Amino acid sequence: MAAKKLNIKDKYRLLTRDLDWDFSYEDRQQAFPYEEFEGIKITDWSKWEDPFRLTMDSYWKYQAEKEKKLYAIFDAFSQNNGHLNVTDPRYVNALKIFLTGISPLEYQAYQGFAHVGRQFGGVGARVACQMQSLDELRHVQTQIHAMSHYNKFFDGFQEYSHMHDRVWYLSVPRSFFCDARSAGPFEFMIAIGFSFEYVLTNLVFVPFMSGAAYNGDMATVTFGFSAQSDEARHMTLGLEVIKFLLEQHEDNVPIVQKWIDKWFWRGCRLLSVIAMMMDYMLPNKVMSWKEAWEVYFEEAGGALFKDLARYGIRMPKYAETIEKEKEHISHQAWWTFYTHGHVAGFHTWIPTDEELDWLSAQYPDTFDKYYRPLWELAKEMEAKGERFYNSGLPQLCQICQIPMLFTEMDNPNQNSMRDYLYQGERYHFCSDGCCDIFKEEPEKYVQAWLPVHQIFQGNCGGPDVGDILKDYYKMNVGHDNMDMKGSPDEARWNKWKGVA
Amino acid sequence: MSYEVTVEPTGDVIEVEEGQTILDAALRQGVWLPFACGHGTCATCKVQVLEGESDLGNASPFALMDMEREEGKVLACCCTPESDMVIEADIDVDDDFAGYPVEDFVATVTEINELSPTIKGIFFELDKPMAFQAGQYINLKLPGVEGSRAFSIANKPSDASMLELHVRLVPGGAGTTYLHQQLEVGDTLDVSGPYGQFFVRKSDQQGAIFIAGGSGLSSPQSMILDMLEEGDSRPITLLQGARNLFELYNRALFENLDREFDNFTYVPALNAPEPGDDWQGFTGFVHEAAQAHFNGRFDGNKAYLCGPPPMIDAAITTLMQGRLFERDIHMERFVTAADGAEEQNRSALFKRI
Repeated sequence: MAAKKLNIKDKYRLLTRDLDWDFSYEDRQQAFPYEEFEGIKITDWSKWEDPFRLTMDSYWKYQAEKEKKLYAIFDAFSQNNGHLNVTDPRYVNALKIFLTGISPLEYQAYQGFAHVGRQFGGVGARVACQMQSLDELRHVQTQIHAMSHYNKFFDGFQEYSHMHDRVWYLSVPRSFFCDARSAGPFEFMIAIGFSFEYVLTNLVFVPFMSGAAYNGDMATVTFGFSAQSDEARHMTLGLEVIKFLLEQHEDNVPIVQKWIDKWFWRGCRLLSVIAMMMDYMLPNKVMSWKEAWEVYFEEAGGALFKDLARYGIRMPKYAETIEKEKEHISHQAWWTFYTHGHVAGFHTWIPTDEELDWLSAQYPDTFDKYYRPLWELAKEMEAKGERFYNSGLPQLCQICQIPMLFTEMDNPNQNSMRDYLYQGERYHFCSDGCCDIFKEEPEKYVQAWLPVHQIFQGNCGGPDVGDILKDYYKMNVGHDNMDMKGSPDEARWNKWKGVA
Repeated sequence: MSYEVTVEPTGDVIEVEEGQTILDAALRQGVWLPFACGHGTCATCKVQVLEGESDLGNASPFALMDMEREEGKVLACCCTPESDMVIEADIDVDDDFAGYPVEDFVATVTEINELSPTIKGIFFELDKPMAFQAGQYINLKLPGVEGSRAFSIANKPSDASMLELHVRLVPGGAGTTYLHQQLEVGDTLDVSGPYGQFFVRKSDQQGAIFIAGGSGLSSPQSMILDMLEEGDSRPITLLQGARNLFELYNRALFENLDREFDNFTYVPALNAPEPGDDWQGFTGFVHEAAQAHFNGRFDGNKAYLCGPPPMIDAAITTLMQGRLFERDIHMERFVTAADGAEEQNRSALFKRI
């Protein structure tokens, strides 16, 4: 038989993994100080199997080609006034949430992977994390560039980065990543690399990007495709991490299970904003949140957990509650934003009659019973000139930082609230899932920066809500917030389209 | 109409139907290729075409870029062959794989035995010796039966001029019905082989555990006879599962080996012994016998599984719960017409199991 050709694995070993070195005069443990404190036991880094084999030179080559393609499309989109081709200006509000709430997470992911990429003793894991870190930086940049076109024509985009750090509802995604990044390196990998990238990202990229396509937004579709071509590497890295930890030592199994329980729950809470975008903010619907959840979480995740069971890993805790939530969370979230539309950095609206009918059809068991009557009431009040705004500041959950808007899943007329006394202070939670996370690490979460608490403590300017929005959040009050109906966005759109 | 696609560097050959993607055909035929999204957007399944024509399908321009298209790269999840092809994938060649070339043989039936009420032992003489690794299989062409049928070789490689096959009668199976009911001594059949990635990783020094069910004893029989003949001194354990005593075939062979060789242990298990069997051995499924025999700990071994899919799945779960993982588990699934082709929604967590 002919001599075996140098295969991709050997090439990768020679060009990449060989870059590791031995510690001759420094203590290895001191060089990787975070590797042990989470209780994870690594007995043999050489058992790490590279989830993908990409050498740095081909990485640059591929990414450069992707950028060239992507920016050619952005240019064409911009030259052709692509924003005029979206189905309905309401759609652009979903992009405002994306840019203020999700794109900055890509930046946090870049920071997180750069950090853990430094902290792993195994060179394979280090290289993979560093590449992912660079990908994430590319994603945030392309998203900002894609949306800079909309920023020229619509309100609400201009202070996305500042707003991400301060605005009450944006503390939800922000704190999610801060929590992961301030954990140890292995927990970060299970939180972001596995739970978020492998299981939950598909729900952001696939249905939401299809939503962009259905609504004429070529720029967003294209950055979505471009990012997705990197996501595969991220997903396989997430899978390798969990296999590696579970196989290295049996004592790792309960630790990993605890992290899966925590991060699936955190992830589901975070996705309630995507649920709301899909069901309420896309004028042309792709599929309901419930349907997306069934396809991308229940079926794909179910197959995954069936395989993980062989390692002794079970479904995430509260999976039964999560299953029931698909019928409710999008409605509960959008209703909350509608009633707080004066303090949001985007516009809200009452669904049209046609949209209400669509929701009734998609959610036959819950929408007519619990949610449609609210919208009918809102319509009546608005017609009478009594558009309702909730003027109080909502109580936030200590963990997910979402206002207490969710209900008990077995009784959707009853708000879900939990509390727990820790060192003489009472802490409040939206659910058993969040409360359990607190009990596991109270010292971490008593430090949470909760926007409403901060406002009441006088740390966000004020005292009036209007002052806080204007000065602390840098919102352009009267332009960025309030109803779509009567907004400057709507007026401009009507002018462009020649509608009176 | 179907095409043959050879997957390098392993040399596995898969049959791809008109309009079927390479990835789909490979996974269905037990050949693992890297994949993730399955619909052309992620590029995990990118492979290099060395020979042949194909349609690129719906590959996203970001997952398969122009320069890659010019270099002859395709995404296996979207690509449909338009001729026979040779592709190179990012998969590892096992150092223990000998890579004997596939050849065509004419085999003459010399003997047909009833091994059990449902399994026949069929012996052939070959027109020329076949070089193969113990554990590999051959394809048989049967008169009046469309396609070919795969059977593991039960004899050891040093008996290169003969073939021993163990054939279980599959209810409604055209191939096994022919072999059980029509084949006679003196008949000749066209054979090609050897195929497959199921063989003993001899360079690995760990103990070898064989778990066999039904006619899946064939490969382990070849592998064990080969190892013992070579004087291999590692601990070797064979766990053989059968329904009842009638179905537990070749028992005497392995009981004798157990007595003769200190490093070989034979553990038969019956899951439904008949009252008349007067069974003193392990009662239960073969994976339960393995668990009991090894006290639930399998690390420090390599396991070789051969048999019907439910037995393999149960054995994998038992082995993994006993801390033996994918890299140390090797298997040959005996999929038959009776198993159906039910669509399994599988995750990308495991490559081969």
